[in-house]
Amino acid sequence: MGAVLTLRGVRQARGGRQVLAIDELDVPAGERLAVLGTNGAGKTTLLRLLAGLEAPTAGSVEIDGVPVHTASLAFRRQVGYATQRPGLLSATVIRNVELPLRWRGVDAPERRRVALAALERLNVADLADRKAVSLSGGEAQRVSLARAFALAPRLLLLDEPAAGLDAEARRAFLDDLESALRDRATTVVHVSHRADEALRLADRILVLVGGGIRQLSDPATLVQRPVDATVARLIGYENVVSVAIDDSGQVLGPGRTTLAVWASAVQIGTGPLRAMVERVSLGPGRWEVVMSAHETLQAHLPLDQTPPQAGERVNVSIDTGRATLIR
Amino acid sequence: MDAVHEVLGRSALVSLTATAIAVAIGVPAGTWLALAHRRGRGALATVVNTGMAVPTVVVGLGVALLLWRSGPLGELDLIYTLRGMIIAQVLIAAPLITGITMAGLQALPPELPDQLRALGANRMQLVVRLWIEARVPLLAAAMAGFGHAVSEVGSATIVGGNIHGQTQVMTTSIVENVGKGDFDEALVYAGILLALAFTINAVLTSVQQRAAAWAQS
Repeated sequence: MGAVLTLRGVRQARGGRQVLAIDELDVPAGERLAVLGTNGAGKTTLLRLLAGLEAPTAGSVEIDGVPVHTASLAFRRQVGYATQRPGLLSATVIRNVELPLRWRGVDAPERRRVALAALERLNVADLADRKAVSLSGGEAQRVSLARAFALAPRLLLLDEPAAGLDAEARRAFLDDLESALRDRATTVVHVSHRADEALRLADRILVLVGGGIRQLSDPATLVQRPVDATVARLIGYENVVSVAIDDSGQVLGPGRTTLAVWASAVQIGTGPLRAMVERVSLGPGRWEVVMSAHETLQAHLPLDQTPPQAGERVNVSIDTGRATLIR
Repeated sequence: MDAVHEVLGRSALVSLTATAIAVAIGVPAGTWLALAHRRGRGALATVVNTGMAVPTVVVGLGVALLLWRSGPLGELDLIYTLRGMIIAQVLIAAPLITGITMAGLQALPPELPDQLRALGANRMQLVVRLWIEARVPLLAAAMAGFGHAVSEVGSATIVGGNIHGQTQVMTTSIVENVGKGDFDEALVYAGILLALAFTINAVLTSVQQRAAAWAQS
């Protein structure tokens, strides 16, 4: 059974500067909560508070009603924490996974059984006897996660576990992570600055901006109704533009209605907006066009379409059916 | 030759004992300095770094003043004894071992202590694991401490007094023989002292390099 998290009136200051302010946050047992935010948004500080590595300057951080920072070591050992850097020790992979179990007094045969099972769960059992320093980044991340899983934590904290992996390794790693989390026996708080990771793995997403909660909602709501331009950009909208819209939803030109618009919903050729093409580049399976209108606009065009040239003046329309009204 | 063996044994006894005590003091002290976030840590680190550069003859003078029969610790009757010499050598080696331990632990990834705490290590498990991770610089600290202790002559002369059959060690014998113009005898002692230092450091270096190779392989 996963742990229940309760945060009330939490304030955390560092060097006289407030880095986190959360008035209220409840995470039910077994939930997967993703924490999304830019660098310096307070994501890692939140994880450190949940892990009991820091005491809040004010307020309370509780797991199952017990304040984490003053909880006993035995209680805090119910929390698993996989940090952004794998932090493997200079020992074999299996010893890395076994060590925290040894600290908990688990006997040798049971340690080995549990450690191998955890490595198996992350598809790295074949690495058991390798030196940890010889692993690739993706392998080390899996081992780090296996080490956290081996403790059968009631709360698992993941700090950007896929950071630093190339695209292919990241995809494989996230596949393995998703499958390892499938049983929902653990409450998971997963910090990321990548929206695709959060949208894929989370039941709810908490968006932190400047140390405060900007939005907390399920992934679909977050994508369909971001509360402001910052959240829209964080979850991947390439454009946040101010336009005037008529009653039928057609964009008339620059105005005061803010829309979050996917680059694929921006069409070049006809339309009420005039723009100058700044840059055209080749992206994954598309042309990426950056234009300056009354605001910067990005468009993605299919590869079979001839893109405009840099310096060219073009007409632009927005498919408002695929855009999101912010205000 | 018996006299040489006796002096050699005495040198080894004094310096190895002093190094062992200095390791027992310096490694925990260096660990505290590396990990503590308390006020005053920086000032203490400066004191330790200064201690690494204090001339051994100054340490000897300070210890002699303390142990002198009319000094504050005179009643302990340690002046001109091996125990007095060991105290002086501990004070010489400990700052070096403390400083190298501190630097070695600070060279580990800064997030490592928190990672170990997050994995459920208690304080002792955390410290022992950090020592294992920093085993190469810790062995270097012990080697440097022993090298400093066995090669010093200032405190051995002042605190030990170079008494034949009692407190004479290799370095004070060399000085005495040079003073008498007996360079052959001085060279014999110098060669044996070098061999002693080489043997002990060879053992420690072998352990250190195996530890380093194991970590990197």
